[in-house]
Amino acid sequence: MGTIAWAGRKVGGALVVLWLVATAIFIAIRLIPGDPAEAIMGGPGSQASAEALAAARAEYALDQPVLAQYVLYLGKLITLDFGTSYSLKQPVTQVMGEVLPNTLWLSLLALAAAWLMALCFAAAATRSNRFGSWLGNLLEIIAAAVPHFWLGAVLIMLFSSALGWLPAVDNGSAQGLVLPVLTLALPLAGFLTQLMRDSLAEAMGSQFALAARARGESRLKLFWRHGLRHAALPALSLTGWAFSSLLSGAVVVEAIFARPGLGRSLLSAVLARDIPMVTGIALFSALVYILVMALAEGLERIINPAGDQR
Amino acid sequence: MSRTAKILSVLVVALWLLMAVAPSLLAPSDPLAINPTQAFQKPGLAHFFGTDESGRDIYTRVIHGAGDSLSIGLAATALGMGLAIILGTIAALSPRWLDEIILRVLEALYAIPSLLMALLIIAFTGPGVGPAIVAVGLSTAPGYARLVRSQIRSLKNSEMLEAATVLGRGTWLKVKNHLIPNALKPLLALVTLGIGQAVIWAAALSFLGLGTPPPAPEWGAMLSAGRTYLHLAWWMSLFPGLAIVAVAVSATVIGRALGGKVKSL
Amino acid sequence: MSEKTLITVKDLSVSFEGSPAVKNISFTLSAGRVLALVGESGSGKSVTARSLLGLSGGTVNASELGICGQDALGFNDRAWQKIRGNSISMILQDALMALDPLRPVGREIADGLKEHSLLSRSERKQRVHEVLESVRMPHPELRAKQRSTELSGGMRQRALIAQALAGNPQVVIADEATTALDSQLTALVLSQLRELKDQGRGVLMISHDLAQVAHLADDIAVMRQGEIVEAGPAAQVLNHPQHDYTRKLLRAVPSGVPRFTSLSATSSPLPAAPVTDLPTAPLALSATGLSKSFGKQMAVDTVSFELPQGKTLGIVGESGSGKTTTARMVLGLQKPDSGTVDLLGECFTPTTESERRKLREQMGAIYQNPLGSFDPRYSVGQLLADALSRGKTKRVESYRQEVTQLLEQVELSSDLLSRSPRELSGGQRQRLAIARALAPKPSVLVLDEPVSALDVSIQATVLDLLDRMQLETGTSYLFISHDLSVIEHMSDSVAVMHQGKIIEQGDTATIFTAPQQEYTQQLLSAMPRLR
Repeated sequence: MGTIAWAGRKVGGALVVLWLVATAIFIAIRLIPGDPAEAIMGGPGSQASAEALAAARAEYALDQPVLAQYVLYLGKLITLDFGTSYSLKQPVTQVMGEVLPNTLWLSLLALAAAWLMALCFAAAATRSNRFGSWLGNLLEIIAAAVPHFWLGAVLIMLFSSALGWLPAVDNGSAQGLVLPVLTLALPLAGFLTQLMRDSLAEAMGSQFALAARARGESRLKLFWRHGLRHAALPALSLTGWAFSSLLSGAVVVEAIFARPGLGRSLLSAVLARDIPMVTGIALFSALVYILVMALAEGLERIINPAGDQR
Repeated sequence: MSRTAKILSVLVVALWLLMAVAPSLLAPSDPLAINPTQAFQKPGLAHFFGTDESGRDIYTRVIHGAGDSLSIGLAATALGMGLAIILGTIAALSPRWLDEIILRVLEALYAIPSLLMALLIIAFTGPGVGPAIVAVGLSTAPGYARLVRSQIRSLKNSEMLEAATVLGRGTWLKVKNHLIPNALKPLLALVTLGIGQAVIWAAALSFLGLGTPPPAPEWGAMLSAGRTYLHLAWWMSLFPGLAIVAVAVSATVIGRALGGKVKSL
Repeated sequence: MSEKTLITVKDLSVSFEGSPAVKNISFTLSAGRVLALVGESGSGKSVTARSLLGLSGGTVNASELGICGQDALGFNDRAWQKIRGNSISMILQDALMALDPLRPVGREIADGLKEHSLLSRSERKQRVHEVLESVRMPHPELRAKQRSTELSGGMRQRALIAQALAGNPQVVIADEATTALDSQLTALVLSQLRELKDQGRGVLMISHDLAQVAHLADDIAVMRQGEIVEAGPAAQVLNHPQHDYTRKLLRAVPSGVPRFTSLSATSSPLPAAPVTDLPTAPLALSATGLSKSFGKQMAVDTVSFELPQGKTLGIVGESGSGKTTTARMVLGLQKPDSGTVDLLGECFTPTTESERRKLREQMGAIYQNPLGSFDPRYSVGQLLADALSRGKTKRVESYRQEVTQLLEQVELSSDLLSRSPRELSGGQRQRLAIARALAPKPSVLVLDEPVSALDVSIQATVLDLLDRMQLETGTSYLFISHDLSVIEHMSDSVAVMHQGKIIEQGDTATIFTAPQQEYTQQLLSAMPRLR
C-alpha cells in the first residue's frame, strides 16, 4: 500500500540524515587540532583534569584505529548513549531530559500561536483595500525580518518595564510564558502570513470559488470550506522547517528571558566546548525536524491526496 | 520595480555604504570614547540615542558599528552564497545520480536550523569574528543551495531552452545566451535577501557572546550589553536593534523587488 | 404553446471603474430554449453571464432585469445568494479548475443543497447520487467520494454539470463549457445540455465558436465589444447573417472549408499555385516504428508516417493520444525507445546531438503558447536577429533588413521591433513565432496545436498565413491538433492517433468522407459542423 511504502521511505530517509549528521560531527571532532580527548572535553587547551581526559580516552577508545572508533561511536549513539557532559558532569541524556520539555512546550505554543495569527491576518488581508494590503505587506516583511533578540527586548521594554503587565523573566507561571512565546511566534507569523495570503488570495479568486458562489455560497462559507485548506497547504509543507527554526530561535529567547531549556543548555555547551552535549543536542534537533516534517507531510497527504496539483 | 522604489533603494544602499565606509562623516566622535560621568543619559540633543553604561554615545556607536556588522554580513553571504551557487548549479546540471547525492546531503544539512548549526561550528572552532563568518556562511548555504538548484533546474527544463535546441544552438550558446543571463537576476535577488539574513545571524552570534568581542560597536554585541540594563536604559537596546531591523528590512524589500521569493529565514 | 420567459434583460450595462464592458444589451430566454451568446475575447459575453448571477464584480445598470419571475435590479447580496444555484446556476469552463481539487466532488455538489434546502445529511447524500446518476456518472456512490483530480476527464465534466444541477435550477448558464475540450468530451457536454433543454429548462450558452453552438442553439446573439450586433433564430443568423462581423465569424470557421481557401477577408491573397521546383524525393520527413513508454505506460506505439515535400500531414488525436510525445520525438527532444526519424533523407534519430545539430536548421517548431519559448529578456527584433544570426548576436542593427522582411512576411508592423513579446496579443505572438521559425528557412515545420489558444477570427488569419507561407516557400508542415475541422482544412493527408497508435492514415478526403475505423467514425460524428 502506498502509505506503508511512504512511511518506510520516511524512516529510511531519517536514518540517513541522522547518520550523516553524526558522521559530520565525528569528522569535525577529529579536525580540531591537538589531542582529541581535550577536544571532546572542552576544546584545545581545556582545563580538564587528567582523570577526565583518561576517562574520555577510554570511553571513546581513542587509542584504537579511527575506523574502530567510528564504529564504536555509532554504536553508542544507536543505544542512545551520548556520553557524559564535560561541563555539567552528568550524562547527556539526563540533562537533555530535564530541559527538553520546556523548550518543546515553548516551541509548540509558539507554533500554534504563529499559525493562529497568520490565519487571522491572511483572512483579514483578503477583505482589505489597496492601502490596507500595502500596509499589511510591509508589516509582514518587518515582522519576518525582526530578529528574536531585539523583539524580545522590545516586548520586555513595552510590557514589562513600561506597562508592568507581564514578567520579564521566567517565574514558572503561565504569564511568564506569554512574552517568550510571542517573541518566538511573531517573526514566524509574519513569514507564514505572506505564504498563506498568497495562496488564500489565489484560492478565493479561482474558478472553483466562483463556481461555489454561483451555487449560492456566502463569502464566509467560501473561506471556511475552500479557502482555509488552500491557505494552509504551503504553510504545512514548510512546518518542518518552521519548527526547527523555532528551536533555533529558542536559543536566543531562552537567553533573553533567562529560561532553562535546550537552547540555554546548548549555548553553555558551546561556550564550554562540551562536545558530548553539543552532539546530543544536534542529533536531537535533527530528529525533531524529521519527525515534524513527517507529521506535516502526513497531514498534507490527508488534505491533498492528489499530491501537488493545484 | 517602480521608479520611486528604485530611487529609494539606491539611496538606502548608498546610506549603508556611507555608514560602513566613512562613518565619521555622519558621526564625528570616537565610538570607543569613555565618559563615565555621562553614563546612562537619555536620548536627547546632546546624545541622539543616549549613552551606555560607560558613557559612550550610542548614536556614534551605531553608525560606526555599521561597518562591522555589514562587513561580517557581506563576508558570510559571500561564503554562503558562493557555496550555494556552486553546489546548487552542479546539482541542477549534473546527471541524476550526482544530483540525488547532493540533494540528500543538502537535505541532511537543512535538517539542522541555521543558528544551531552556527553554534555547532563555533563549538568546534571557538568564538570570534572569523569563526562567526564561517559559521553563518556555512549554516545558510544548504537552504540557498536548494533554492539555486530549483531555479536553475526550472530554467534548464524550460521551453525557452528547448526552442533554442530546436533552432540548433549548442550547449555553450544555450548556457551563454539564455541560461546564465536569466539565472542572474533571481540569484541577485537571493543574494540581497541573504545579506539581510546574514547580518541578523551575525548579530545573533555576537549577542550570545560568540562573535565580535566588546568593546567593538558591533550591533549584536551592543544589544547583548544592553540587555543587562534593559529596565534602566532601554535606549541601549532599542537603537542598535532598529539598525539591524532596518538593514534586514531594506535588504528584504530590495531583494523581493528584484524578484526573490520568500523562502528562508 | 406558450413558453415561459425565464430571463428578461433590457438595456443592461456593466462597467468596471468607469470603463464599460457591456453596453445596453437586451435579450430574453424562455423555458425549453437554448440561447447562444457568441463573441470573441473582450466581447463582454462572460461579464453578461456573470451579471445574471450578480457575480460580475462591476457596476450593473439596466432598465429591466428579470430572473425567473423576480426583479433582480434591487437585489442585494443576500437576495442574489437565494437564487444562485436554486433558480439559476452556472457551468464553468475548466472542470479541473472549477471543482476544488482538495474536496470530494460529492461535497461540492452537496454544498449547494446545504444553502437552499433543509434536507438532512442522508437526504442530501441521496440527492447527490440522484444528480450524479442524472448526468450518467458511472458508480455515483464511489465517485462522489473522490476529488476532481482523481477522476477522468469525462467524469470530471459530468461532476461539473452535476454541481450546477443539484438545486434544480430553471436556468443553466454554460460559460465556454466546451472550449478547450476534445471532441468526445464536447459531444458529452452538448448532449447533456440538450437534455437540460428537453427537461424544460432555459439554457444560456456562452461560446466563441459558432460551430459548437450551431446544432444546439435555438437563438443566437452575436456580441462584439460589449454590444449585441446581431440576434435572431439560429437558422437565420447562421444562414443569412446581416452584420459584417457575423459574416466574418462565420467565414473564419474552418469546418468544411476546402484547402487553401482563405478564412479571413483581411489576409493577403494566397498565391494561385504553389512554388513548383520542389523535389519529390527525398521525403521531407519520415518516421518509422517510433515507440516510447514511460514506466508501464505506452505513450507511443510503433508510429510510422511520411511527409512529402511541400505538403501538410495532419496528426489528429485527443489528449493523451500520444501526439505531443510523437512531436517531441520527431524534433529530437525526446529519445524514442525504438524507431527512426529521417529528415530530408538523412538520419535524424537515433544519432548524436552533434550530428543532429547539423540538420536542425531544416526543422522548426511552433507551440500552442509561444511566450514560454521566447527568452523573456529579448525584444521582438532581438528574437529575430538571434534566429537569423544563429545565436551569435541579438543586435537588431546587424540584421535590420532581414528582420524587417520577416516581419512583413508575417504581417507584423515594424513598430513592434522594440516591444517585448509580453506586450503582444496572442495572434501577434504566434506570428512572431512563425517568423522566428521560418528565419533559417527550414524545410519542415512541426506545429503542435498552433491555433488552439486563439480566438476564431484570429485563428483564421494565422491559418491563412501558414497557408501562404507554405505556398510561397514550399515548407512542409507536420500539423498536430485535436480540432478536426482545422485539420481537415489544413492537411493534405491525415493520421488519426488513439492511445499511442496511428489507427488510420490516408489522404484527407478519404479519411473524412469514408473513415474505416470505428474510433475515427466516432470522432467524426462528434465533430461540430457548420457546413
